[in-house]
Amino acid sequence: MSDKKIHEDQKYIDGLLKNNSFIIQAIYDKFVPKVINYIKQNSGNSDQAQDVIQDTLVTIYNQASEKGLQLTCPFDAYFFLLCKRKWLNVLKKTSNKEVTINEEVLSKGDEALELAFETSVFGEKQALFAEMFEKMGDACKDLLKATFKMKSMEDVAKSLNITYAYARKKKSLCIGKLTELVRESPKFNQLKN
Amino acid sequence: MEEKDYIQFEDYLFGTLSKTETEVFENKLKTNNAFAEAFQTYKNLSNYLSDKYGNETESAAFRANLSDISNKYFKEKLAISEEKSSKKPFEFYKYVIAACVVVMLGVFTFNQFSSPSYSDFNNFDPVSLTVRGENDALLKIAEKAFNSRDFAAAEKAFAQLIETDQNNEAWNLYNAISKIELNHYDEADDILTEIANGNSAYKNKAIWYLALSKLKQEDTLTCIDILKTIPEDADDYERAQKLLDQLD
Repeated sequence: MSDKKIHEDQKYIDGLLKNNSFIIQAIYDKFVPKVINYIKQNSGNSDQAQDVIQDTLVTIYNQASEKGLQLTCPFDAYFFLLCKRKWLNVLKKTSNKEVTINEEVLSKGDEALELAFETSVFGEKQALFAEMFEKMGDACKDLLKATFKMKSMEDVAKSLNITYAYARKKKSLCIGKLTELVRESPKFNQLKN
Repeated sequence: MEEKDYIQFEDYLFGTLSKTETEVFENKLKTNNAFAEAFQTYKNLSNYLSDKYGNETESAAFRANLSDISNKYFKEKLAISEEKSSKKPFEFYKYVIAACVVVMLGVFTFNQFSSPSYSDFNNFDPVSLTVRGENDALLKIAEKAFNSRDFAAAEKAFAQLIETDQNNEAWNLYNAISKIELNHYDEADDILTEIANGNSAYKNKAIWYLALSKLKQEDTLTCIDILKTIPEDADDYERAQKLLDQLD
């Protein structure tokens, strides 16, 4: 990944990460109409297109923020493939019909396909992590939220009225619990393959 | 995995294992698949939580902004498509009449309303910046220079003022306007973009002047893109709409 050339369209990723309104507006003006057309031509409506597009941009933002996403292909192809994938997944969930994701037809090169796949797996993993996090007990949830919000374990221990050593031990056990929940879920094994 | 494994994962990530313990740990990662897999998931979850809760404010601001832009975009799009679909098809001669009217109007208005230029918009209201304070003298110089359109002197004075308070958005805004006048576009655009992305009272003004900067640079497409982002409650909204009409 790191030795691949960054595409000039990285400006869209950086703009999203900086919450730059001009860039977000430009993405809507330049790349969104094609997605709306696609969704409308494939059993969807304008509201559904709006949701899919917004979700996709949030996933891109999250991947850029957490993993430093680097774009090695045109944004247009990457974004379209991602939205398309997301829409086909929506259709899969809402209808009993078999929906095949035939990406070769509309892809503009392997690089975009590969990157879009990576981002959509990232998005699905994030959704799974969030779902499993909600399954944990309140004590663990509160401790982990405080830990990652405050960053300093000393402050966390103080705010929860526990010792520093106990706070650190609890943190590792709570993430450990979460690790188990994630690894045991059937969805996780599907995402791995 | 056992409790001690998770405690060790955390210690490794936190950098609190000794050199020998680290070597043993890394060796285990290479040789024990289940251990390595559990560690990878633990690490991914730590990164996920760190990003989710560590950047909660930034992420919420992004979602809110995205939602605004998206709602506005789809509202306009829907309005346009409804307008289109409600129009009944009409005969060709009507197009001919319409075209004639447009041509006549075009000829009539050409002299008065030829393409808009930056100079149509750079009649700034006099600024009044002086307040009782430390920089009174320098503020007066900046104000006087700006109001008398001596932008080189204004730029110099604002630069000195900003050195004393980099976060003063008013000074930054007038500094950027002076730079547009002096054709120092890159610097002006950088300052304006920063103000526009912030949340100060000068946010919308900065967007408007950024659009004017692009107009002066004859970058019409970017100018149009920027004008479209000026919200309805902005002071310059009407002027922006007029300019958009002229540019479209």
